[in-house]
Amino acid sequence: MLEAKDIQYFILGRPVVNKVSLKLKAGQLTAIVGPNGAGKSSLLKLLAGDYKAGAGAINYNGKCIQNYRPKDLAKIRAVMPQHSQLTFPFKVKEVVELGLLSLGLAHGEQLVMEVMKETQTWAFRDRLYGALSGGEKQRVQLARVLVQVWAGTDQTKFLLLDEPTSSMDIAHQHQVLHIASQLKRKNIAVLAVLHDLNMAAAYADQVILLKEGRIYQQGSVDEVMASQHLEHVFEHPIMVRNGYDGMPHFIQSLPVYQQNRTYKIA
Amino acid sequence: MNPKLAIANKITHTKLVLGTMLLLLLILGILSLTLGAFHIPLSKVGQVFMGDWGVGENLNPQEKNVLLQIRLPRLLLAMLVGGALGIAGAALQGLFRNPLVEPGLIGVSSGSALFAVIFIVFGSSFTFLSALGKFGLVAFAFIGGLLNTFLVYRLSSQAGKTDISLLILAGVALNALAGALIGLSIFYADDAALRNFTFWSLGDVGGANWEKVWLMLGISFLPIGLIIGQYRALNALAIGESEAYHMGVDVQRTKLFILIGSALIVGTAVALTGTIGFVGLVVPHLLRILYGADHGLVIPGSFFAGAILLTLADLLARTMVAPAEMPIGIITAILGAPFFIYLLINVKQIRA
Repeated sequence: MLEAKDIQYFILGRPVVNKVSLKLKAGQLTAIVGPNGAGKSSLLKLLAGDYKAGAGAINYNGKCIQNYRPKDLAKIRAVMPQHSQLTFPFKVKEVVELGLLSLGLAHGEQLVMEVMKETQTWAFRDRLYGALSGGEKQRVQLARVLVQVWAGTDQTKFLLLDEPTSSMDIAHQHQVLHIASQLKRKNIAVLAVLHDLNMAAAYADQVILLKEGRIYQQGSVDEVMASQHLEHVFEHPIMVRNGYDGMPHFIQSLPVYQQNRTYKIA
Repeated sequence: MNPKLAIANKITHTKLVLGTMLLLLLILGILSLTLGAFHIPLSKVGQVFMGDWGVGENLNPQEKNVLLQIRLPRLLLAMLVGGALGIAGAALQGLFRNPLVEPGLIGVSSGSALFAVIFIVFGSSFTFLSALGKFGLVAFAFIGGLLNTFLVYRLSSQAGKTDISLLILAGVALNALAGALIGLSIFYADDAALRNFTFWSLGDVGGANWEKVWLMLGISFLPIGLIIGQYRALNALAIGESEAYHMGVDVQRTKLFILIGSALIVGTAVALTGTIGFVGLVVPHLLRILYGADHGLVIPGSFFAGAILLTLADLLARTMVAPAEMPIGIITAILGAPFFIYLLINVKQIRA
């Protein structure tokens, strides 16, 4: 389990992440949503170990994050960045193989192939990474981080995704989140920063709604994805139709000219 | 393809490429031993190393002397310095995530040169310094190189990524500063120091002797090994510093190894042979164009290819205007500078 307790992070004396507590359990997909500047990426970087929390504690499987060496931490948590640029002409497959770094090389090839087929990147494995489209690059990065956590172990593993679907078409967005939700069967806890509220509603088990560095709401989709919460956090009229018959929640923001007619900002 | 076979193939491929380069280096080395102002036939070169098979030709002591005391140490020094510059260039490029990094361009070499000059000019005033001899020169060059490496890194990096234009500008600034301070040191130099400096600054691999070879080999052996051992970390760093950390790389340790290792081998090379430019820029690039970006090949390959390049350059320097000699730095610059311009033109593609 990944547990954060009252963590804070300051930039120029201003708390960007303010007293956030959360738990990530194996078999759960947690989505972080919130407006720009709410502290989503900073929270993810704190959890990943990039930033050191100014206050509070982060524990991976009961052990404080500061007590992990980079190599040991990499064995149980992988992070997919928002953007990745490569300076040198690496091939797609070489990029994915970097995910093996923390594992040692045994049976790496099989693993890489499996993950690349799953993420539909196997077809362009020999192309240069730099020549790919934005969405293809993201899938390659996803494949790389999946390699890191794919193999099953006794320990719970953690996958942190920072806007994994930002430059993908609809089908690939769903494919990525589907893969992420499938990982839940593998003793893996997934955390994703998501911009698309509908995607969060459709795939998340737990939703964390951030506003100005604080958790405004935390809980199941039904609890958090309610019109009044979303309107308060985003300061914009948002309509939510509850899901039924296995359909996900349907969340619709309304155009600005509609505001005065039917809805009020909470 | 069978997955296990694919890994095996990749390893064999790396070995094959490195083996070919080694072979090329050996052939070039033998060629370089026979050619020069004083021609020594191949059969006699063989005789010196393998002993007499009763070929019947008599080896005169002069030939033996030229070969063992002049040409062989010179060849070995050229190989070691070329390899050192190549591998330092490749490692620094990987660390800075920037294909335009080169010990000479970013001011590492000029930092080494400045401190070497300071040692030459002022070292004789302090007996404890002059007692250090060549080691003192190397130590000073190392400190200067390290200082400039850190300065360039600080000046040009933002959020863990170096900006190409800032990096080049930082190099320009540091080169200018080092040049000015070298000038200032020379202004205060006495005649003896001035003569020493002149010899050193002209000093290409022409002044090679066994002492220099052993010094270069002794000091650069360990750092080169350390740098080669960082190839996986460098591969991970190509995606980014935080990404490399996420993959389990101890980024600070890797940085330290590479910065200190590079400063040590470049500093030693500069102290022994003066500044020889562009080897560290050209070599890793050619390898990437030919064999891809995997540092498992690029890093050790840069050692061999750098050795090949400098041996070739030295051969040209010795034979083109024989019996006179051209400084080797001129040759590498004539080859390297146009290559640098070509890289600048293509920098957009490199950035992909």
